[in-house]
Amino acid sequence: MKQSRAEIVAFVGGQILPHEADVRAWLRRTGSASADIDDVIQETYCRLAALDSVAHIASGRAYFFRTARNIAIEKIRRARIVRIDCVTEIDALNVVDDEPSPERVVAGRRELGRVQQLIEGLPERCRQIFTLRRIHGLSQKEIAARLGVTENVVETQSARGLRLILRALSEATTQDQPAVGKTHELHPVRKRD
Amino acid sequence: MSSIPSASEIDEEAADWAARVDAHGLDVEHDPELQAWLRGDARRAGAFLRAQAAISFLDRGRALASVTPPVETIVAERPNRRALLAGLGGSVAAALAGGVGFWSLRPRRLDTALGEIRRVPLADGSLVAINTQTSLDVAMKAKSRRIVLKQGEAWFQVAKDPKRPFVVAAGVARIRAVGTAFSVRRGDEPGAGVDVMVTEGVVETWIEGDESSRRRVSAGSRVILVGTASPVVAETPSEIERSLAWRNGEIALDGESLEQAAKLFNRYNSRQIVIEDPVLARERFVGLFQTNEPESFAAAVAATLGAVVADDAQAIRISRAHSS
Repeated sequence: MKQSRAEIVAFVGGQILPHEADVRAWLRRTGSASADIDDVIQETYCRLAALDSVAHIASGRAYFFRTARNIAIEKIRRARIVRIDCVTEIDALNVVDDEPSPERVVAGRRELGRVQQLIEGLPERCRQIFTLRRIHGLSQKEIAARLGVTENVVETQSARGLRLILRALSEATTQDQPAVGKTHELHPVRKRD
Repeated sequence: MSSIPSASEIDEEAADWAARVDAHGLDVEHDPELQAWLRGDARRAGAFLRAQAAISFLDRGRALASVTPPVETIVAERPNRRALLAGLGGSVAAALAGGVGFWSLRPRRLDTALGEIRRVPLADGSLVAINTQTSLDVAMKAKSRRIVLKQGEAWFQVAKDPKRPFVVAAGVARIRAVGTAFSVRRGDEPGAGVDVMVTEGVVETWIEGDESSRRRVSAGSRVILVGTASPVVAETPSEIERSLAWRNGEIALDGESLEQAAKLFNRYNSRQIVIEDPVLARERFVGLFQTNEPESFAAAVAATLGAVVADDAQAIRISRAHSS
């Protein structure tokens, strides 16, 4: 049965995205380069985007690990020079499929703090707009009126905030969660143009 | 740009699109500009899904501000009998009318103890997940499949068999399915009603002896059968999945008050959680826990809300820290 876009987005937001930092950390442990990790993660979301329904996925976390692992292995096989240790590392690490329950508990428990931290870590203007939109549910028009700016400014700031949060989500791990601002000092992000 | 854009460059464009869709309520499937952008690179669909998912993830923060999203309540409407019968088909209607007599022979009893959660395959290929402190009888007959939920909660994944209607009886409430999945919970207090959540397909519910109470409830909906005027509440699929987290031995909190959360844990454990401060009891909380680990919940509350936990053999008491 085909699910609506909203249902799939809600599933990915609730069951996949919160585990992204863990999947990345795990890929890093296998020795993958960071650009490769970005590609593997993006490809995983692409496969999700191609699905008509996610109802068959019992555990988002297990699915994420499994799919990322498969993509990583395919990538290695396609590469002309194969690092044997890389393949065995990834093959050996399939144990993560069976998620340890304490880890999940910790991840769930921290979700609340994480959302809060992500928003609090944004630059002032962004944070203000994000809080009004996401926490208080105001429309773009209402926010513009309240802050005395154009709707265009609200939209630009929303997009900027989302970019920063997407970056932070891929950088923070559930073991240590530096504030968003700090993360950026530690990992300067390549600027376009 | 002549070079191939990196994954993070695509992520940034995707964030802009997701923000735009969110601000203007664009129709993702039919917006020509967005569709053209998506087609431009196979990787964009993934990045865009991720950006939209991040917005959805952040919306969970709404629980933090104690702003609970409004629950849409659909006023119960009297179903049109003729339309209903036409929809059911004559044979099923006949089976319903004549099936009562087959339901009494030697049922199989399934029980769970405090904190126990079982998954039991049934003879017809259906599956039942049974929550804590539940008792039910299963009777498989040639022309009917009949479950009597005596107390507690169970979720049924029903194998398709149009010739043998699958009916759950909980007190005077009835739920009938052919091939679908749904949960039924009997409230603990007398008169609390029977809570039905549908995860797949459609079920028909009614109150025994009251023909006018018949109604169809489809996937993603929930109905609390207390009488003829039981409202059907539309829930999001993720909300229903969350309510059924117990099937994996989990409690998923998404903005419940501590008082409600304590009640949930206390269904599974002899060591009861007691929230000692009434103000603290109204605080809202988000998190995923094991049903049999009330201690982790208490520790998380202590860490997040600055509460104090006192532990003994009978109870886990959570109180407000005294600022002296």
